[in-house]
Amino acid sequence: MKQTVPADQIDQVDADQAIIARVLDGDRNAFSILIHRYSDPLFRHALGMTGSPDVAEDILQMSFIKAYSHLAEVRGRFDAWVFRIVANGCKDWLKNIRRTHLSYDEDDQPSGFANPEEDLDLSELRSDLDSALLTLPVSLREAFIMKHVEGRSYEEMAELLSTTVGALKMRVHRAREALQALLEEKYA
Amino acid sequence: MMLDELYEPDRRGDGTREGKPEPSAPLSDREVPLAPVSAIDSVHRWLDGEAPEPTGVRGDAARSVEFWRRLEEETERRRRVVTPPYVAARIMASLPDTGSSTLMAPWWKKDVHLTPALAVVLAVAAFSLGLLVMRLIAAG
Repeated sequence: MKQTVPADQIDQVDADQAIIARVLDGDRNAFSILIHRYSDPLFRHALGMTGSPDVAEDILQMSFIKAYSHLAEVRGRFDAWVFRIVANGCKDWLKNIRRTHLSYDEDDQPSGFANPEEDLDLSELRSDLDSALLTLPVSLREAFIMKHVEGRSYEEMAELLSTTVGALKMRVHRAREALQALLEEKYA
Repeated sequence: MMLDELYEPDRRGDGTREGKPEPSAPLSDREVPLAPVSAIDSVHRWLDGEAPEPTGVRGDAARSVEFWRRLEEETERRRRVVTPPYVAARIMASLPDTGSSTLMAPWWKKDVHLTPALAVVLAVAAFSLGLLVMRLIAAG
């Protein structure tokens, strides 16, 4: 089935391609435009997946370096391409974490909120949600974060994860049911 | 005996199907009703943005609505998370020094810079190779 791409998205792709061309021509500083444009949603994804701001920063850094090193290979949307690099980086990190049985520090909880006052307000719900998210299988956590934290549509998620809307709905529904089962007693 | 005869409506014997509706029964009685959308499904549809917030629900569904309203406050806050300001500078500082196009291009696609010295070396090498081939042909 052929999908129509919205006009603003085409503009965005063209704008990104122009920046990529500048970087490939040797204007290294132009790469910072791409970093500023896409780092926030990517950081939120990494933070949601790993539960650690430090790890999320590292994954973001490694992903952008990788993107820079392979910039000529970008075909189509840069944001979708770099998202996949970040998503794979998160999955690799989670695999290694499971293998080495590392545990999180209490202090190593998500932060980096826009408002510093909010940063200090480490609510119980926030830490409980983090703990509950970390118990979910990676595919369910990924789908839940993309839907509820990143606010993406199922269509966009399907494009980014190369799967179907139906499969993603199922994952999100299962994630909700699991989270509710874990947290409902305390918060409903 | 034909098997069809066992199910003829006029026969009221052993062959009559159990539970088969009377021909005179209203059509609505004979149709299988569609399964109603469960209250929990309506919560999922609301959370998916496909339906308005369910109202007038009770029991589990009401608890679900309350729970997700509360959780939405937290997910909304997470949606406003931004990358710490120093991260972009850190990434830029750690980019490889070599030009990006050189880094990612495979060796056969990289630009060749032909200096005069390199040109002479290549010419001598090609001439020597040609001489060698000619000698081998002559010897053979």
